[in-house]
Amino acid sequence: MLAYIVSLATFVGFFMLLAIALNLQWGMTGMVNFGIAGFYALGAYTSGILSSKLGLPVGLAMMVAVLAGLAAGAALALLSGRLRDDYLAIVTLGFGEIVRLIILNEDQITEGPRGLRIAEQPLAGWVSVENYPLLYLGLVVLAVAVAFALSETIRRAPMGRVLRAIREDELVASVLGKAVLRHKIRIFAIGGGIMGLAGALYAHYVQNISPDVFLPMVAIFIWMSVIVGGAGNNWGLLLGAGIVMVLLEGSRFIGDIAPWIDAEKLSAGRIILIGVLLIVTLHLRPQGLIPEPRYRNKFQRKS
Amino acid sequence: MNLQLFVNGLVNASLIAPPAIAFTLLFGVLRFPNFAIGGYITVGAFMAYTANVIFAWPLVAATLFAMAVTALVVWLSDVVVFAPLRNQEPVTLLVVSIAFSLILENLVRLFFASDVRGFDIPLERPIKVMGARITPEQLDILMLAFAITVAVHVVLRFTRFGKAMRAVADNPVLAQVRGLSLRWITAGTCALAGAIFGLTGVFAGLDLVIEPLIGWNLTIPIFAAAILGGIGSPMGALVGAICVGMAEELTILVLPSTYKIAVGFLIIAVFLLLRPQGLFGQPEIKK
Repeated sequence: MLAYIVSLATFVGFFMLLAIALNLQWGMTGMVNFGIAGFYALGAYTSGILSSKLGLPVGLAMMVAVLAGLAAGAALALLSGRLRDDYLAIVTLGFGEIVRLIILNEDQITEGPRGLRIAEQPLAGWVSVENYPLLYLGLVVLAVAVAFALSETIRRAPMGRVLRAIREDELVASVLGKAVLRHKIRIFAIGGGIMGLAGALYAHYVQNISPDVFLPMVAIFIWMSVIVGGAGNNWGLLLGAGIVMVLLEGSRFIGDIAPWIDAEKLSAGRIILIGVLLIVTLHLRPQGLIPEPRYRNKFQRKS
Repeated sequence: MNLQLFVNGLVNASLIAPPAIAFTLLFGVLRFPNFAIGGYITVGAFMAYTANVIFAWPLVAATLFAMAVTALVVWLSDVVVFAPLRNQEPVTLLVVSIAFSLILENLVRLFFASDVRGFDIPLERPIKVMGARITPEQLDILMLAFAITVAVHVVLRFTRFGKAMRAVADNPVLAQVRGLSLRWITAGTCALAGAIFGLTGVFAGLDLVIEPLIGWNLTIPIFAAAILGGIGSPMGALVGAICVGMAEELTILVLPSTYKIAVGFLIIAVFLLLRPQGLFGQPEIKK
């Protein structure tokens, strides 16, 4: 039971990292990204291949995974930073699918559909095998905390104001002399890096990764997390990611309690439930559960 | 050029073209990219399957039944799910529509499980034309898709309803000022698009196999075709569908077939960067 909760919490952590990254890109800056699964896979496979096949130390491999996410984010934003929302949606979706197809097809490097086994784990041997999941959870919590702090710092900094200006009206932001494209590239790269980190942490946790985990569905769940929680609000998305992941993974419990429901129906019901949750939330609370705070300058009186 | 690949590409294009046109019509009136097309097509395919195999209706009657049900589903989804959210950003609505598509697909999974199915029709020998094989069903799909495209074009150009639809797509406020009922035109567009999605479900079920993901697998090419042609332009969607359908099949000449989807995406990405408004779209005028 405890082991189950620890594992669930770890998975919630991966989702929170991805949601924080998407909130930076979309919630704060208004840049659409449907290729989350691609960044996630890139991080997972970079770290996995470097540590298991090339024997790099795990810490270093994970760092390279973050850099890979950063680089991919920057490149994608540089190419498509000027595109309209719906077009950016399809370009990023395409990026995600291309990453998945490359992993699927280049099986000399990635082991393709067989799945890549990764024996290496960070900080292995520090604690006993029974306690290792707890240590790993601690590591994931630390990563979430760092990403959260980074995102909040950006939000409160002058840069956060520029990003919101870009989100609300790009033209006005550029008329005011802000380097719109440079900010977009920077924020897309940071988001990509965080997603890469999430992927690396995921890879060394499950220790067996295959391309069918990184379907576009991942992006949809993260989008739902951010929208349900409240776009633009870091606290909201933590709540949203928690709710979506607990519904996704936690409902596996029902299978243990009620074995007469078959797994196929259960997994279908689970996805229906999450979809309905998104739609109902938006109908009742259009800004999400915890909306973005309204920004005032110091001359406006509190109302 | 290999004639067989050309024929395959043409069949592929006629699977994509009608829903791409329907998608673009919906976009014009609803003003957000409705990604639930996958779910609608799945509903269409399974309704036709239910009528054809379970009720043992002839395929033509089953097709009409599927079109009617899908039209109803599209209209209801707009009234119940999307209309109350009209003030949200288009991207939020896009995500909601994907979620709705997942709901539809999984409702189908709940009732039919993920087994692979087919319509109850006699197997016929493919026709050979100059060494290229084409099944009679594929020939039907090809001709019907062409007929649908022409019909939609005629409706848009020459009927009162078509003119009203174009007026709403152009400027909803102005159209309302001129006394057009936004509600009825939205309902009519949903019904028209829904009927086309239902028909596409039947086409896809004839050409491929019927399973809950049948619609989702078509979603990307359909969206790509609509974008390529310029969202909001039905004729563009047709040309876009032919380009995407052909490109998907012809890439087999140079790359392993598993990369089919990726190449489609790459072409779209390059195209978007060079000509963001699509082939026939108007460049967006910003305020």
